[in-house]
Amino acid sequence: MLDARGPPVQFELQAGEETKLQELTRHWMNERHAPDILPAQSVLLGRLLDHIRKQNDTVQLLRADPDSSEEEHFRIMLAQTEIERVKFIVRSYVRTRLYKIEKYARYIVATPEVQERLSETELQHARRYAHLVESHFHRTVLQSLPEEQRGLADETAFMPPMIPEPDKTRAVFAMARTNCPPVRLPDGSTSEMEKGQISLTPYYVVEQLLARGEVELV
Amino acid sequence: MALPISLRSSVTPPELELIASEQLIEIIPLISMDKTAFISGAYGPLRPPAKCRLPIWMATNLKLKKKCHIVPPEWLNIDFLQDRLTRETSQPEFCAMPFRFAEVAKIILDVASDDVENPDKIRSLLKDLREARQAKSREGITKLDHSELTLPNLCSMEINEIRPFFIRSMGVLTQLVREPSAAGDI
Repeated sequence: MLDARGPPVQFELQAGEETKLQELTRHWMNERHAPDILPAQSVLLGRLLDHIRKQNDTVQLLRADPDSSEEEHFRIMLAQTEIERVKFIVRSYVRTRLYKIEKYARYIVATPEVQERLSETELQHARRYAHLVESHFHRTVLQSLPEEQRGLADETAFMPPMIPEPDKTRAVFAMARTNCPPVRLPDGSTSEMEKGQISLTPYYVVEQLLARGEVELV
Repeated sequence: MALPISLRSSVTPPELELIASEQLIEIIPLISMDKTAFISGAYGPLRPPAKCRLPIWMATNLKLKKKCHIVPPEWLNIDFLQDRLTRETSQPEFCAMPFRFAEVAKIILDVASDDVENPDKIRSLLKDLREARQAKSREGITKLDHSELTLPNLCSMEINEIRPFFIRSMGVLTQLVREPSAAGDI
């Protein structure tokens, strides 16, 4: 560690239980910053979508009522604003995953442990997308090449790989949500993050901590 | 494409503002409203002139319709910021600030500058504070290596600002120290 540890954080992040929305926001930011695809939060997403639907129904019901007061109008307006905000987060979360799935489609299809992190629909999409890209490459270029050069899986030294993989050495800013167990750093030393500490470190160092929810990416 | 290029490597300041505006803030309502269940929790009841805690986005929404006054957080005043600025310029390390202070301050000064005492002075203090801290983050790059850099008291917006450059620098350093045996596998 290079810097002396700073004084304890005086401004605690808002204490108390994490709401479902805060939880999704955290996963959204993790997904945005992590180079790899993180486990799908299907249950959480489903519950929030249900909540949006219910809230929407309530709003529709209130709006249909012709003699609602001015107070009611404000409640409706605020509820609608919130629905839009939550929808934005949900959409951006799903799009971030979709982007990674399309980018690494062929890597996903070839790697079973990554497939476990995807939801059923995401996995189907990855398979179809990978197939589409491969057959496109084949039809447009590869079929006209000599037979031994037609494969997409060749490993030439010093060339970027033909199947893009997430770069787990990319650095991320991680913030500890609790006191974390020690992790090994690339230079051989170990480091223990205290609650609230922020570190810039390669992704693979904090990968396990992130999976257990002990750090979040900021 | 699923995600526009501008959003791929980092998050944008408006997105950070969106996250920050889930935080609660005190308001003095000018309308009354019963306790209402929202997705993020139940808020209210609003009974003027009793103070009430709401998410910032709700407060700004009501403020824009002139239905409430926002009570600025305790750190958004001249004394506090002046003190932090003095410390920031006299000490080598970063002072503790609320993690999302830049976003919250911007939102409040944008929509409710009339609820803040001396908003112009506060704006200029925030700007000075930002510049002092920015200079320190730039110095921080000299301490960067391929394994870890601890950044005590750095705030959300500041991290976002230095992110592209720091991540790339660390990537270059990682490549430089890579084991010679691993280099063959690339």
